[in-house]
Amino acid sequence: MNCEVCQLKELEVESFEIREVLRCILHTIVFHRALGLIRPKDIDLELFEITYVQCGEIEVEKKIDEKIEQYISWIEKHPNKKNQICVSFYEVKSKQPSWFTNKIERSYWEQWYINLNVLQPSKSPIGKSHHAKLVMDPGEASEERNSRRTQLEQSLQEVLFQIIKFVNEKKDHVPPINDGVIYCPFEITTPSSSDSTFGMDMIKRMLHSGHPSMLG
Amino acid sequence: MDFPENIPSDTGRLEQIVSHFFPKALHIVLESRIPSMQSRSRTRERLSGLNVKKSDKWFNLVMGDRPAALEKLHSWHRNVLDSMIIDIILVHPISSDNLEDDHANSSSTTETVIERWVVQYENPLIMSPQNSDPSTRYQKVYKKSIILLRSLYAQTRLLPAYRVSRQLSSSLASSGYDMIYKVSSFSDIFSGAVTETMKEFRFAHVEVPPGHLCASVTYRSDLSDFNLGAHITLPPRIITDYVGSPATDPMRFFPSPGKSVEGTSFPVRAGRPPLTSSAAERPHSWSGGFHRPPGHYATPNQSFSPAHSHQFSPGSYDFNWSRTDGFGDSHQLSPPFSPSGSPSTPRYVSGSNSPRINVRPGTAPVTIPSSANLNRYVSSNFSEPSRNPLPPFSPRSTRRSPSSQDSLPGIALYKSSRSGDSPSGLMNNYPAQKLTKDSKYDSGRFSGLLSSSGSPRFGFSRSPSRLSSQDDLDDPDCSCPFDFDDVDESGLQYSQSLDRRKTSSSISQSLPIVRKSSQDAAVGVLVHMLKTAPPLRQDSSTYMASMSGVQREGSVSVSVSGTESEFSMARSTSDALEELRNYKQLKDLLLSKSKSVGGATRVH
Repeated sequence: MNCEVCQLKELEVESFEIREVLRCILHTIVFHRALGLIRPKDIDLELFEITYVQCGEIEVEKKIDEKIEQYISWIEKHPNKKNQICVSFYEVKSKQPSWFTNKIERSYWEQWYINLNVLQPSKSPIGKSHHAKLVMDPGEASEERNSRRTQLEQSLQEVLFQIIKFVNEKKDHVPPINDGVIYCPFEITTPSSSDSTFGMDMIKRMLHSGHPSMLG
Repeated sequence: MDFPENIPSDTGRLEQIVSHFFPKALHIVLESRIPSMQSRSRTRERLSGLNVKKSDKWFNLVMGDRPAALEKLHSWHRNVLDSMIIDIILVHPISSDNLEDDHANSSSTTETVIERWVVQYENPLIMSPQNSDPSTRYQKVYKKSIILLRSLYAQTRLLPAYRVSRQLSSSLASSGYDMIYKVSSFSDIFSGAVTETMKEFRFAHVEVPPGHLCASVTYRSDLSDFNLGAHITLPPRIITDYVGSPATDPMRFFPSPGKSVEGTSFPVRAGRPPLTSSAAERPHSWSGGFHRPPGHYATPNQSFSPAHSHQFSPGSYDFNWSRTDGFGDSHQLSPPFSPSGSPSTPRYVSGSNSPRINVRPGTAPVTIPSSANLNRYVSSNFSEPSRNPLPPFSPRSTRRSPSSQDSLPGIALYKSSRSGDSPSGLMNNYPAQKLTKDSKYDSGRFSGLLSSSGSPRFGFSRSPSRLSSQDDLDDPDCSCPFDFDDVDESGLQYSQSLDRRKTSSSISQSLPIVRKSSQDAAVGVLVHMLKTAPPLRQDSSTYMASMSGVQREGSVSVSVSGTESEFSMARSTSDALEELRNYKQLKDLLLSKSKSVGGATRVH
């Protein structure tokens, strides 16, 4: 079975927006892969005028939140970097248990790459007084902030459309739904301390999938 | 695979898939578009523990009971080869510019199709050879149709009409706007001009031998022409006890009850309380509360006019759905439903790049929490500020609770503005004499508290005398808890120590509890404390600042002159540690007090 890969459009986010943006994207992806009996939950984003759908499973929510926290703490240590979060759906294929090993093999059939460029908030220039900064900046800064936020909202909507399109176009590779299984097992890979390994993995995957954009 | 119905033959199952696909798609679309049906979905979410009907299990998507009207609608669609065309129609007033008829009155409306969903089962004339194993064919088809419906469900939430329908479901009945639908098996083709304004999205079809299931949607991508934001508003409320901005007028003497207050820069708008950035960026200790579906729009008394026949004519629907007080409801909604909402209106009034609250001079909109939750917090003889950050209130998590008699007018005003009660009754609780007496006292103190840092400071002289109990702190839904008690000199100290902090922080850290008799200064204290309270995300160890001299009420004397110099001091780590220590002491004190008092607030 081939592994379908979807590279989502890159989003420029500020650190306080990460949580919402990631929740929205991750839940939307998982919702489309939660093919068991679910009761969907509509969630309104607080920062944007977007409503996304959760599959309603508590374990999914916990898992996603956990991974987002991991990612955020990593981001705090490695600011101003472009990075990816990878959502991989797999099938569990247990190998023939030998007396060597009882390894369970995962066969990945779909991978999603969420590309984020986390911006750091601009600091006030050294030397200007606090008061002066406040007087000078408010108008321009708020305009810029608003336009950036509007742009991010549009981009996030485009990403969600992208997910829906991809989900629609490729259905054959989705494994059959097993009874009692609510959602297809998945794992979320965030950048970790072993950055170099992660980076190499990403590059390899990108080369395979033929997306030169990330290499630029 | 868990197929809802036990049908032996593969062909029979495929037919079942197709025949059930139509009503499911219809249910998804209408539930997301028709305001009256949206409320049913809220009920569904609330009653999520109930057993699921077999019919609802189709496509593994539990939608809740179908409205009776929907059942009737679908009973008409017997032939699966007929297309099902769902037109979502926006009823809106005709703008006066377009009126050619002089006799047209202001209440005339027109209808515009803003979305058209088409679901059909196309049966090709030539059957393609079936390669797949018949026994598993229906499972694959079912799986793909499940995915198709998932994406259709998600798509309904993404298109612009969803926002409009949510606005309509929460707005007043008199707005002149409505959203209705028309289902037919054929419809007029859109004119060229209309087509230009619309976009199309085609869902990938699912092969269901001998044909395939298709779905598509044509939608207007831009609904700003209808001026929904301007017309679909919550009722305006007059704030009679408007609190001035600390930034613009820190020395302001707030008039006694009944006088009108000039508008200042402390807007708390109905339906869209301004958020400071950190209020929404706050760590998710309370953000979960927002993920609850905004639940309480319309009353259960809605009825659809069940007059659905085969031939629908636009405008023949008259959905009698009553809307609840939109004011209170709106605050359970997220900001898109604010009166000023064009779809791209940014949510933040005073947003900032940093995740902390930045209060900028002159603009400082601060969300004053609803006093709906004031009752929950025990007042005690507080003399030390609590170090434990109180759960941040959110403008959207306000509750509609009966107006309490024990809140400051400043706070009461926001609550009453939300619940529709007149604040004057609340104001009467506070004796005017006390106001007069204390204001003089207060204004003297104000001068001492202005810092030279240039950042906005609230003149205040009130101390938090009570803070929330621990239990209430854990509630993610609670608004700012404060009750109001007598002024303490110790509170001044506390406020001053807070004032020393330069970090802009989240609003709802420690909230000052002030005496009812000094409302103006109390609100000032409150706002200042909210502004200068430490951010939630900081490690609690950084709050180990011991606040100097904060003691039980009545036992501390504070020198105003001393505090002046303190404000000009740069904040140091030791200050922060000191403050944190004081907070902790305060918290412990409040906890003990709350236990003794039992959580009841005093009614003044």
